[in-house]
Amino acid sequence: MLVGLIFLGIQTTILSEMRPFGVMVQLMLLIGVTAGAIYGPEVGALSGLIIGLMYDCVLTTPLGLAALVLGGVGFGAGLLPFFVRDPSWWNRAIAIALFSAVGEILFPVAQGMTGIGGWVQPRMFVVALVVALINLFLAPVVMPLIRWTLKQSMIG
Amino acid sequence: MAVISPQRRRAIALLALTSIIFVTLDLQQSGSTSAVRTVFGVLFRPVEGVARVVTRPVSNAWNGITNYNDVTAENRLLREKIAQQEGASVAAAASVRLSQELLALNGLPTLAGINSVSAQVIGDSPSNFAQSVEINQGSESGIKVGMPVLNAAGLVGKVTKVFPNRAVIMLITDPEYALSVKVVNAPKTTASTVADPEAAPIETTTTAPVATTSKIPGFTPGSTVPTAMVTAPNATVAVPSLTIPAGSSLAVRETGVLEGRGPSRTPIVRFIDTEQRFGEIQLGSPIVSAGGSLSLAPPDIVVGTVTRVNKRLGTAGPVLEIGLVADLTNLSFVRILLYQPITEQKAP
Repeated sequence: MLVGLIFLGIQTTILSEMRPFGVMVQLMLLIGVTAGAIYGPEVGALSGLIIGLMYDCVLTTPLGLAALVLGGVGFGAGLLPFFVRDPSWWNRAIAIALFSAVGEILFPVAQGMTGIGGWVQPRMFVVALVVALINLFLAPVVMPLIRWTLKQSMIG
Repeated sequence: MAVISPQRRRAIALLALTSIIFVTLDLQQSGSTSAVRTVFGVLFRPVEGVARVVTRPVSNAWNGITNYNDVTAENRLLREKIAQQEGASVAAAASVRLSQELLALNGLPTLAGINSVSAQVIGDSPSNFAQSVEINQGSESGIKVGMPVLNAAGLVGKVTKVFPNRAVIMLITDPEYALSVKVVNAPKTTASTVADPEAAPIETTTTAPVATTSKIPGFTPGSTVPTAMVTAPNATVAVPSLTIPAGSSLAVRETGVLEGRGPSRTPIVRFIDTEQRFGEIQLGSPIVSAGGSLSLAPPDIVVGTVTRVNKRLGTAGPVLEIGLVADLTNLSFVRILLYQPITEQKAP
């Protein structure tokens, strides 16, 4: 929880100002997806739901929406070992990038499903692509951090 | 490989169910979700404050690297603009004051009669799919949901969430934002150019059209006529004269609805009637809030200008693309009008 709060602090301060190509780096999404890619679908879903609920508290979208999206993509990223036997670090990084893009597309779609329309537009694919590329480069840095964090907690 | 754990599965099911319940409650505008956010905000503020202080050097370096050229160019441009506008602002302030006095005399609502609270923008939306900013004033300063937010240039958005000492502002560019506005169509002007073959400097004049004929005897729009003539056997006395404004040079107004379309696209105005009287919409025509009992904002707050007119076939009116006067990418201080629209007031 404490590590999640620190990540959320980084997300709402420095990352909301630093916007490469006008797109915000999605650290919270990266954490949920990375947890799944390392520890499997259950831990991914659990981490995504917890991180997502924290993220929801600072967003203006309905409370619980980001939790469901992050939980879903965390679960999805955790399915990697079912497709790749003994995935290497770069296999995981690619899976993290892929599911980051999926999460970034799912978020406006989920908003649309709850009646908050107008965000499903071509721009979301550009946003998803930029987020995926950034998370691809951040994944090797974040993976050891998530390993350490989840080893210290009951989830891991 | 992951270990299957029934406890984890129960936790996942519980959290997913909680999230679904929260979404449902929040969509019903339940107070319990606001309470959760408020409690979380109290716990999270110190962490965010520390993160802001620790990361400030990095964000300053980033802004220095990415925005240096833009900032210097903008500074130069702003200095020029300030010099140009200093004189005009004095005259404009006098006109605004006069207009507000007239409105007040007629019992009409004016911006001058509405109290406001100034606030500092302390954060942007932490999402790619919301157009909002956070300010450092909240319900303790009298701010309520729905209040319009302005900066020095014009309308910025409206308050959507209020906490004791902070609030969230939805910007005009958010697709959820809609506001009734007036398009003030300026009279069409014609430009004529006179070129001197003897290499004289080119002179350009801009004139407003004047009425060509009038069938009313003695009535010429745009002219000044005596109100009455008293003719005595030996003398003619003219009493103070009356000026008739040129009808064609008066601004014509038409209402429509402004809608945000996200950060990458300009807001639009729909539902403008194509009336003969309204005529061709001029690029650069100002857009101001329409006001009215159901409107989100009081009348005559400047929103922007028409940058493009997309004509449509049939009876569907044109769709106007709007260039906002407020720079939403660079908000520092804003003013919240303590004006809560009826539509945003909760039933007792």
